[in-house]
Amino acid sequence: MGSRSLLNRLKDRNYYYVWIGVFFLLLISIVLSIYYSALQIDYTWRWYRIPQYFAYQEQVEIKSEIDGEVESISKKGKEAVVRVKGLEGTESYAVPASALTVEEGDQIYYGDTLSSYKKWRVGILMQGLWLTLKVSIIAIVFGIFIGLFTGIARISSNPALKWSAITYIEMIRGSPLLVQIFIWYFVLGTLLNNLLANNGIAQIPPLWFGVAALACFTGAYVAEMVRAGIQSIHRGQTEAARSLGMTYVKSMQHIILPQALRRILPPLAGQFISLIKDSSLLGIIAIRELTKATREVVTTSLQPFELWFVCALLYLVLTFSLSMLLQHLERRQLVV
Amino acid sequence: MIVAKNISKTFKSHSTEVKALVNVTAKVDKGEVVVVLGPSGSGKSTLIRCLNYLNVADEGSIVIDGIDILDPKTDINKVRAEVGMVFQSFNLFPHKTVLENVTLAPMVVRKNSKEEARKKGMALLEKVGILDKADVYPDQLSGGQQQRVAIARALAMEPKVMLFDEPTSALDPEMVGEVLDVMKNLAREGMTMVVVSHEMGFAREVADRVIFMDEGAVVEVGTPEHFFTNPTHERTKLFLSQIL
Repeated sequence: MGSRSLLNRLKDRNYYYVWIGVFFLLLISIVLSIYYSALQIDYTWRWYRIPQYFAYQEQVEIKSEIDGEVESISKKGKEAVVRVKGLEGTESYAVPASALTVEEGDQIYYGDTLSSYKKWRVGILMQGLWLTLKVSIIAIVFGIFIGLFTGIARISSNPALKWSAITYIEMIRGSPLLVQIFIWYFVLGTLLNNLLANNGIAQIPPLWFGVAALACFTGAYVAEMVRAGIQSIHRGQTEAARSLGMTYVKSMQHIILPQALRRILPPLAGQFISLIKDSSLLGIIAIRELTKATREVVTTSLQPFELWFVCALLYLVLTFSLSMLLQHLERRQLVV
Repeated sequence: MIVAKNISKTFKSHSTEVKALVNVTAKVDKGEVVVVLGPSGSGKSTLIRCLNYLNVADEGSIVIDGIDILDPKTDINKVRAEVGMVFQSFNLFPHKTVLENVTLAPMVVRKNSKEEARKKGMALLEKVGILDKADVYPDQLSGGQQQRVAIARALAMEPKVMLFDEPTSALDPEMVGEVLDVMKNLAREGMTMVVVSHEMGFAREVADRVIFMDEGAVVEVGTPEHFFTNPTHERTKLFLSQIL
């Protein structure tokens, strides 16, 4: 009997590994079929072109703006100051000491290179990634606050609060985000910026209308989660808190919301991941986030296959990190 | 200490009306222990919840320590701070430790310092015999332990009156004793108490007065001896014959 069950277990384990093998086979065959199909249309993969969109070295040349003579070069650590004496006066240029291309006493003319060196610059994809991250984080923070207050207003007995909350939630959830972004930028943005211009105040850049659209969009969904979370907490909790003399606000703050937020953490995580992905729509109002940046690079580099894969991967990095972070929070709270 | 006069309460839903309290008048003096008895649905829980404004009486007046709690101008939070309440289902805060459960309200409502609240909290936990569990979370405690923490939590506010709404009804039988012992000690110290309960032994031993209710009205009020040995009303006799 013993040997038989051992055999069974061995068989089970072998089956397990077989299915793992099947999984990887599936993965490899998808990759290969894409590669093969690309060969069929004579697509040339040029992965080596991709890193430059993350970071690249820029050639920097510092040029003289006057004719004259190099009067002095004074070095201070890694910096050097080149003083050029011309007929109409003296100009000084600060350059890296190691990249000098002139010496003291050299005669130079307008446009001559004084120093030439390479400098690392952040590529457009990294800039896009950073902007996506920034927009998402700001929108998430505002979304949480909007959601919290709207969620509480939603279950208030005051009709002004309650109906405002319901109207807001239904309107936001009932229309496409793309349309909302257009309204924020082309309608509200135009109105607001005209108003500001008429009063001589600086314009609000498109970025903030994009953030507002995303925050309001997320806020409506968060509000419904907050409402459900609060309502899921047993009535006895409120009664116990209030019977101790706590006000409504204090009992919300110390008793109800901490428990409710803990419960809605998993759906909140999903909502925030959606928000990161939805930020890709902001490209339509000239915000150069990751998707818009990728599109621009594609039009100049003509390597769409690599770039869109990289773009998707970068989103995955963002969303996966967020999901890990929230899972960590969730687990920590379960222990505590 | 507590004077409730002619209070009535009707629960209305879409199609039905339930008269929970009909013209109830009751009085609790300082230092007195009053036990409210009655069959289920008799309105005793509603009565005690009305005393704490968790239910709002439709008519009548309730005066606690000289303050009319049904007056719209009254700050009910101030009154509640002086009135401790213990619930049937404990209602401890599950996201806070035992000690935090006890110290939260004194810090938030009474603005006690953390150190002060902690010291008082530890003393109260010792009093209810649960000091060793100060740093665990409520879900790791037995029902009896939870209810004792709930009593300590209410006492931390140094209330003038304690209301107990069926404090032992949700407990396993072997845990009823430990909670009743805490309550008896409290009574011996002179705490004013209103207890809704089915514990006849407790009523007989500790109560100064017993209020018997049925169908939302007070049927009989008297000392435990009178109530258990020589009740006047037929309804009381029937009730006692059913439970004893």
